[in-house]
Amino acid sequence: MNPRKIVIEPVTRVEGHGKVTIKLDENGKVIDAFLHIVEFRGFEKFIQGHPYWEAPVLVQRLCGICPVSHHLAAAKAIDQLVGIDPENLSPVATKLRRLLHYGQIFQSHALHFFYLASPDLLFGINAPAEKRNIVAVASENLELAKKGILMRKFGQEMIKALAGKKIHGILAVPGGVHKTFTKEERAYFLDGIKIPTIDTMISWSKEIIDFMKNYHLENAKWIDNFAVYPSNHLGLVHKETGALEFYDGRLRSVDFEGNELLNIEDIEYRYHFKEAVEPWSYLKFPYMTKYGRENGWNRVGPLARLNTCTYITTPLAEIERQVFKSNTHNKPNNMTMHTHWARLIEMLHCAELMKDLLLDNELMATTDLVRKGTPRNKGIGIIEAPRGTLIHEYHTDDKGLITKCNLIVSTTHNNEAMNRGVRVVANEILSEKPEITEPMLNQIEIAIRAYDPCLSCATHALGKMPLIVQLENHQGNLIDEKIR
Amino acid sequence: MKKLDNTLIIGIGNNTRQDDGLGWCFLDLLEKEGFNEENLLYKYQLMVEDADLISSYQTVFFVDANKTHLNEGFTIEQLYPSEKVSFSTHAVPPNQILNLCKTIYNKKPKAYLIKIQGFEWNFKIKLTKEASENLKKAFKNFIVLTN
Repeated sequence: MNPRKIVIEPVTRVEGHGKVTIKLDENGKVIDAFLHIVEFRGFEKFIQGHPYWEAPVLVQRLCGICPVSHHLAAAKAIDQLVGIDPENLSPVATKLRRLLHYGQIFQSHALHFFYLASPDLLFGINAPAEKRNIVAVASENLELAKKGILMRKFGQEMIKALAGKKIHGILAVPGGVHKTFTKEERAYFLDGIKIPTIDTMISWSKEIIDFMKNYHLENAKWIDNFAVYPSNHLGLVHKETGALEFYDGRLRSVDFEGNELLNIEDIEYRYHFKEAVEPWSYLKFPYMTKYGRENGWNRVGPLARLNTCTYITTPLAEIERQVFKSNTHNKPNNMTMHTHWARLIEMLHCAELMKDLLLDNELMATTDLVRKGTPRNKGIGIIEAPRGTLIHEYHTDDKGLITKCNLIVSTTHNNEAMNRGVRVVANEILSEKPEITEPMLNQIEIAIRAYDPCLSCATHALGKMPLIVQLENHQGNLIDEKIR
Repeated sequence: MKKLDNTLIIGIGNNTRQDDGLGWCFLDLLEKEGFNEENLLYKYQLMVEDADLISSYQTVFFVDANKTHLNEGFTIEQLYPSEKVSFSTHAVPPNQILNLCKTIYNKKPKAYLIKIQGFEWNFKIKLTKEASENLKKAFKNFIVLTN
């Protein structure tokens, strides 16, 4: 057999444009594998010179799927530029922002599970490529598809109610929010007339977790062993209790066995993280300075969050967390495919959190929406976006113009983890096989897809989202290529 | 107030990218003419959940900018559900939205695609002169068709 190189390009059912290269030796054994991110946009650069108050509006253009995350991370940073730390934001502004955030995570997780991941789970890895899509899911599992659409819609409608529109709306302003919630807007989510109620969302979220638990029972051999590799895990946790936290908390990292590696104030991140670069990808590789490039990288996102938090504050999601944790005897879970399960538990948590807030009358307060303090020239906003820890940092001059911007998005944190996943799966699935089939290549994509990567966000880049797999010989010559 | 009963008109595009805003400008014209704004929907792109949205209408118009040459500067063509899948989470073609609507809700709204030729796609909030002319022609034709 000739030495070969496989290229998967574009990677499908992910956000953004990625490429996988797998190098094989003369015997067909995998020598190395890489996930390349080939887009570049340079948001951090072109925002320089803009007034600070434009940041929450401009940076959300990074993404059409999770603009709210960028809007809120930027808003938290910009609050500090007007002298307001998260604990000094008014209660009503905090609650409105949180409600927006939970709606965003809910819709994003629904989109990923129903539209992107469910075809792999429902039809299996060997299903024909033309069947692995939402249309086929709809044809064969009508109720699941309907629920998926309505759950995603519920989150989108929440965003629209709070931010004015579903994509690239505005709620946050420096030091607060510019609008409150009306009785009519609240009733829309509670009365079940035009859309299913929040109680229905909770009920359906539980149902879909049951689906996942049953799926696990029937397919444990696969999802417990596919793309399993040790890693550190990073996420925000509640400052006092260590509970799962999406909007504001401490940054905590644990290793694959649960030993605590980091537990810091979020704004201290700069002293604890560095970003490495590689010539074959526009995506950087963040790592914890203390542990170095090789050992200091983290996974982020739903699986990492359930590994770093001590409990979940809402009752139904906490029950599900305990079931989930029992799989690993309360130790961190390093099974990549369990990320889907963790994502569904977070959906349930968000639905419960949204219900609590919808029933809170303070949400409709019309005073104390914006606060101001003593201006500063540096602000850092860190939140948990659907895909993981999201960091925005801005520096301004005396005129309030942005002089420096640093963004570390969730998918960037997961860069090393995704690359490891590609290598593990390539070694297990492709090494020394006489023929490389499409389902084999799909398994590479499944390993990446579990992270729900947003490659456009990660490079802050504009683009379509195809995946390329290339097969290369040991001399670097392209032997075979599959493009989707 | 003019009202198109049971009709939804979806303008697809982005008005900050010059002629990509043609779909939205079409809706602006309808609003100026007094059409009920509840039936007008501005979208950057179509998404899977739009299958749910269109299922409650008898007729749907999708209005979008077109990059390639069109003899009259625009076309209005009837659309049918397509089983071909080129799904991404950032955009779904109208005929696939129709297919999802048929598959999931067993509804088949009558659907039309209004394509209007655009010319420039840079970061500006203004249509080119040529695109504006095409917009006027498409709009005039639409009014005749719906009357």
